[in-house]
Amino acid sequence: MGVIGYGLGVIGAGLAIGLAAFGATSAMARQPEVQGRAFTVFILASAFTEALGLIGFVVTLIS
Amino acid sequence: MDAFAKLPDAIAELVAEFSSTPVVGNLNVGLTQYSLWLLIAGVVLLAVIFAFVKKQSLAPKGFFVNGVEWVIEYVEDDIAKGVVGSNWRQHFPFLATLFFFILINNFIGLVPGMKPGTGAIGCTAAVALVSFIYFLYFGVKKHGLFGYLKSLAPAGVSFPMNIFVWVIEVFSLLLRLVTLAVRLFCNMFAGHIVMGSFAIMASIFAQPLLAHFSAMNAVGALPSVAWVLILLIIYAVELIVAFVQAYVFTVLSAVYIQIAEADAH
Repeated sequence: MGVIGYGLGVIGAGLAIGLAAFGATSAMARQPEVQGRAFTVFILASAFTEALGLIGFVVTLIS
Repeated sequence: MDAFAKLPDAIAELVAEFSSTPVVGNLNVGLTQYSLWLLIAGVVLLAVIFAFVKKQSLAPKGFFVNGVEWVIEYVEDDIAKGVVGSNWRQHFPFLATLFFFILINNFIGLVPGMKPGTGAIGCTAAVALVSFIYFLYFGVKKHGLFGYLKSLAPAGVSFPMNIFVWVIEVFSLLLRLVTLAVRLFCNMFAGHIVMGSFAIMASIFAQPLLAHFSAMNAVGALPSVAWVLILLIIYAVELIVAFVQAYVFTVLSAVYIQIAEADAH
């Protein structure tokens, strides 16, 4: 059951990282000069969302 | 199907291996396997930095000196100058220390048989606490205690909403401490668990073949090849993650320092 719960929970994190990557790539395609800044923001945003997925992973293992 | 039946026990054993156990002394006074590797990582880092300082010359030459210089310049340009802004010079030593400490610990943990010092929640919590106190100190120093507390809520929000926003901001401020620690710990812990799981799967599937050579067992061991390939891919990803997590921790600390020191607007 815990694994199914984790699978459901990680949908959100997956969607969020996908959206962040989508935003970053389209920003870089429109304005190549903001590449460095956009990459930093993308890494930050995916770190925030990834942490949620990882908390789910660890909680699944512990419970 | 026999192989999959063995899996849960092996995974449980793997997870148990990741909990802190004392190597020297006991859990109250002594070293766990994580703090032992933490000390070793510290020694390695000191050796690298002293060797770098000794070899440094006006025109850097060689892979080692240029490599270390590249990383330092990366922290300086990308994190200190890019995020903190005009008074980056003041915060650069702190940020570089954070970055190198986390980086060396993450990489030490990736060597097979070694444990990352950052794979224990106690270590990451301590580093996060240092970062938390650091930006609080500079925020209070810049604005004064009352001024800093007031600057948490954005100016220009009308009276009753002001208090709600302030409470939420204080809550998110305290949450920064938790998320900084948990993010680094979870990344290291989860990454190593995943790598360990695939290594266990590879060994479980190959076991019948090693014990008794026959065509049936050889076919049964074929998935092992796939598990080893996946393991190698995950290992490559973990190499990136080790760098990215050090980067993320340092960038977030820089962002918090920048927010704490920002003028009221």
